[in-house]
Amino acid sequence: MAKAQKGQVRVITGNAAAAYGAMLCRPDVATSYPITPMSEVAEQLSAFRADGLVDTEMVEVEGENSAMNVVTAASMAGGRVFTATSSWGLVFMYDAVQQASGFRAPVVMAIANRETPGILAVSGGQQDIISMRDTGWIQIIVEDCQEILDSVIMAFRLAEDFDIQLPVMVNYDGFYLSYLATAVEIPEREDADQFLAPLKQQPERPRLVPGEPLSCGTHGIEIGFMELRYKHCAALERATAKLDEIDKEFGEIFGRSYGGQIEEYRTEDAEIVLVTSGSATGTARTVVDAKRAEGIKVGLVKLRLFRPFPRKRLAEALKGKKAIGVIDRSVGFGWNCGPMYMEIRALTPEIGIIPMLSYIDGLANLDITIPHIERVIDEVSAAAQGKPYQEVTWIPMEE
Amino acid sequence: MVEGTKKRNKIFDYFREKEELYAGGVAWCPGCTLELTARFVPKVLGKDMVLVGCPGCSAPVFYGQNVGTWHRMTYYSCLMTGVPSSATGLARYYKKIGKDATIVCFTGDGCAADIGFQPLSGAAERNENIIYICYDNEGYMNTGYQRSSTTPLGAWTSTTPVGIAGKGKPTPSKNMPLIMAMHGAVYVATATLSHLEDFAKKLLKAKEKKDEGFAYIHVFAPCLMGWRIEPDSSIEVCRAAVRTNYFPLWEAENGKFRLTHEVASPKPVTELTKLMRKFSHLKEDGLAELQKVADERYALIKSLCDASK
Amino acid sequence: MVIKHKFILKTENAWSDANEGLLCMDTGSWRTARPVLDKEKCNYCGLCALYCPPQCMKDMGDYYEVDLAYCKGCGVCAKECPRDVISMVPEGEFTDG
Repeated sequence: MAKAQKGQVRVITGNAAAAYGAMLCRPDVATSYPITPMSEVAEQLSAFRADGLVDTEMVEVEGENSAMNVVTAASMAGGRVFTATSSWGLVFMYDAVQQASGFRAPVVMAIANRETPGILAVSGGQQDIISMRDTGWIQIIVEDCQEILDSVIMAFRLAEDFDIQLPVMVNYDGFYLSYLATAVEIPEREDADQFLAPLKQQPERPRLVPGEPLSCGTHGIEIGFMELRYKHCAALERATAKLDEIDKEFGEIFGRSYGGQIEEYRTEDAEIVLVTSGSATGTARTVVDAKRAEGIKVGLVKLRLFRPFPRKRLAEALKGKKAIGVIDRSVGFGWNCGPMYMEIRALTPEIGIIPMLSYIDGLANLDITIPHIERVIDEVSAAAQGKPYQEVTWIPMEE
Repeated sequence: MVEGTKKRNKIFDYFREKEELYAGGVAWCPGCTLELTARFVPKVLGKDMVLVGCPGCSAPVFYGQNVGTWHRMTYYSCLMTGVPSSATGLARYYKKIGKDATIVCFTGDGCAADIGFQPLSGAAERNENIIYICYDNEGYMNTGYQRSSTTPLGAWTSTTPVGIAGKGKPTPSKNMPLIMAMHGAVYVATATLSHLEDFAKKLLKAKEKKDEGFAYIHVFAPCLMGWRIEPDSSIEVCRAAVRTNYFPLWEAENGKFRLTHEVASPKPVTELTKLMRKFSHLKEDGLAELQKVADERYALIKSLCDASK
Repeated sequence: MVIKHKFILKTENAWSDANEGLLCMDTGSWRTARPVLDKEKCNYCGLCALYCPPQCMKDMGDYYEVDLAYCKGCGVCAKECPRDVISMVPEGEFTDG
């Protein structure tokens, strides 16, 4: 594919970046129910529609549950669809979220992550990602506004790939990224079209056509149910390598790539590795550089794909390291540790028995600060040298 | 031999679809009015529609099983919370690609009036190009005859049982068709299985008006098991509901109300209640209260019809 | 892992395809009584066929005949027939059932 021309650079928020990404993919049907901090996505998309930039059918639904049902059905009829939500909105569509993945509907949904259970918090956190972990969706977590826009475009390529046919969530930190305005390069329409063009060359997926005796939905009875589950899981497994491929191709065309499933930073000769996700990664990168200057051999892994879990690539990145620290912006109820930490610990057979430290930080808009990350690196470093360590630390609670 | 008088009822003229779209043997109870409704609707509307439905008594037949189906229609299954919203997604997508489609939601009263009411209300307000058909069996009959918000006053259900303290359902039913009419839907009508010509006309009118927007048809569809009715009496119960003005047949076309079948001398509701055992515990006062509800509702619809003249 | 199972669904997801014939139940076996129509008295009005919930009254041109493969024996046809030409006869009286 030809290299893309330089796109226009505009200072836009993360929400606007999500909306631009969606607009460039020309969805047939889009819908969204406003919720802080993603309401701007819905407004932006409506503005694009009003300005004639897209001919998307916009549905102003009466709740998130309906939003997910609208896009799932439109997707099963053959359309390209987009929606966005956050926090309780995501929880309110929980049944429909699972229907979308069970139907293998290639829905793309942007999520400005926000705290969820129990305690009302109009503030950022990744707990809503965690509550969706077993829904059978593909979950991508991004770091900055440019990555939001690029990832929404890549998400359509992944979701609608004939070998995948799965819905994709593009997660970005609410408040931190949703309202943060930064310079974002907006690809030209024809370049985005060119990037998505391969989707038109693949076999057509089944779709609901009025008058045709094909029904969407069936009672999966006996082994039929198990077969569908097996196919779903197999498609999720295929999505890992597919994301790497798509990311690489995006990089070749647009000059920006994000590592696919994970992004490694200075890990090659690292003795200890820090694992982060989302917007905190930027801070972590700065601290890693500073610690490197001090002579500490520390590397960083940004977890981009949460479901399917990038087991293979993570194991490769973490194998042979002396200790690792994982920073979670959410909790794993009933395990009293970070959920991403918990999943990485499950890779012990692949990476070996080494000190693994869990850090819970940044809940409900608390900042994951430079001193916090310095502390993490110091403790992981000490653990690597055989010093005693605490497995789980709720950083702000110990200050 | 009755020579010269052999003439088929003209109702058959309303059938657009000559082919039977269902398998002969499907899993509905003997005498079920839902079965008749489900088989009647595509005959009148034609098979070039998309049916949208959810779990309930219709699901065992509408949903396929792994590699086969019980019917030849285009069907979209979803959850009880997502019927009108899914229909919206379909309608909007077909509109976008310029494909003519009749989107028909087909659910029970439990979905329409209760768990799926929010998206129904939303779709009606947005005036989506959807026909919503609610088969009202006055309760959650599929899960074992529990009460719904459309269960009538005093009725026995498995969650409003009758005993020393229990007197059946303590509140009257939600007046669903009127609530939908108050949404300002393009077309709202009530129908039942004893008056099939009336039902057919209403289906065709809903289809005719589908490009204008939202249509809602509320079908009185007794459940033989849950209401404790003899299997051969389902049509008789429908007829009695009309003749007692318990379930008046009316339509509201662009806000203009009209009785489509005015009953000359309505019978008391006891003519209906005696046909089933879900009201058998009601004494005179209970029956009088039920009569009062029916009278008030009829007076209301009558006044709306008079105001529309 | 070796998958020995041969996929029964052609698609990745739950689509039900009616192109290859319909599923069907033996609902005729549910019946405890069957409708017997006196075709001499039948005036072909069709109300029995119209109201029949499983729609199993076959149009014979000038009278109707019940399709015993599917008739569940509910008796609606007998009850709704305005000329009372259908009677419900217990299945025990027949030898073909």
